[in-house]
Amino acid sequence: MASTDEELVARSQGGDLDSFNQLVVRWERPIYALAYRTIGREEDARDVCQETFLRAFRALKGFKGQAKFSSWLYRITLNLCRDWIRRERRQPIAQAPEGVDLVELASEQTPTETIEDLVARKEISQAVARIMAELPEEQRTAILLKEYHGLTFQEIADMLDCPLSTVKTRLYQGLHVLRRQLGREGVGRNHV
Amino acid sequence: MCDKERLVSYLYDDLGDAERVMFETHLRECAECRDELSALRGVRADLISWSPPQPDFGFRVVREPKVLPFQPRSWRAWLTPAAGLAAAAVLVLAAAAAIAHVEIRRGPGGVTVRTGWSAFAPGSGGSEGGMTPQSQVRQASAPAVSNAIDPAALAALERRINVLEASAHDASGVRNASMLSARSSDAEILRRVRELLAQSETKQQGQLALRVAQVLRDVEAQRVADLSRIQQGMRGIEASVSAEAQGHRELTNYILASSKQK
Repeated sequence: MASTDEELVARSQGGDLDSFNQLVVRWERPIYALAYRTIGREEDARDVCQETFLRAFRALKGFKGQAKFSSWLYRITLNLCRDWIRRERRQPIAQAPEGVDLVELASEQTPTETIEDLVARKEISQAVARIMAELPEEQRTAILLKEYHGLTFQEIADMLDCPLSTVKTRLYQGLHVLRRQLGREGVGRNHV
Repeated sequence: MCDKERLVSYLYDDLGDAERVMFETHLRECAECRDELSALRGVRADLISWSPPQPDFGFRVVREPKVLPFQPRSWRAWLTPAAGLAAAAVLVLAAAAAIAHVEIRRGPGGVTVRTGWSAFAPGSGGSEGGMTPQSQVRQASAPAVSNAIDPAALAALERRINVLEASAHDASGVRNASMLSARSSDAEILRRVRELLAQSETKQQGQLALRVAQVLRDVEAQRVADLSRIQQGMRGIEASVSAEAQGHRELTNYILASSKQK
């Protein structure tokens, strides 16, 4: 049976590197996904992902388990992303190709999906990436943590140090902007 | 004005039973909230389609070897396994260099590292002047035996071919088209041989530099590890010597005290 995060953290704090590396394997994809969706650059997201684990490793002794280990990692990632955005002095980038490569698309096709559905999905994906990149940081973060990482409202509020109602308001505002912008671009399920 | 926070909570199934029933009652009466809920569900479905790339992660945390500060020791401290290992490493390097016939030259173009056995290398004992053109060509076209050709030797070879051609021309008194084409084809072969040799030499230099760097890194890592062990050992010895000296002192004091009493 696989060890829980708490067990692995405890063993890592005792100096067991293998346990820490198991945590890395378990969480590297979600952490990378959060970094990528926040800053929009593959290579920089990889760097942020690695730096997150290095910082977590160095600060592990000080982690007392008040929050979940994953929430702690997410917080480190978001801080690093914020530093990146500040350093680069720019908005996150929606890294989406202009054209649609049908050959490349075919490799992503699910068995039940027609090529038309696939092209539509790609268009939606690109539009979502673009609109998300333009959202205010706090709205984007609320959507990312809720939609893609399944955190509870309370966990998000704790992580962002803000009231529960603020998290819900930011989420609502972000979703509202997405709905409006997708509508303007004429893409998405609301416009089928 | 409807409660948007409650709408969001309902959207994410985050309401308690009583609150959910109340909100569903509200939904039946409020077309605006119904439409908004439906639209936001559509947006959530659209969000799913945005997936990040899947890179190959190879990142793992490894422990760095501890580098202890250097502390000068007496010459006896160097008679240790570390010194033995370092001497062995130097011997291995020297033997490898001898076998590979490493030749390092500093010239106007920088430092040149050359490997392999070459009949044309200065001081190798080969008599350049005594060789026939045929034997020179045979050696030059066997890179497994000789992978470093002196440019001067190649120039000499070219000059020799020219002389032979010129003498043939004088004998016949006729410069025909076939001679011309033969000469140009020889020059082409020479150029090609020279290119191949240069490529081979560059490749071997790169490989040698890489191997030397690897060996040096291994030796350095071993040296650091051994130094650490030596320091630990010395600390142990110092502790035991100190305890022994203390014992001697006590014994001496005891003997002195008992001799005074007598």
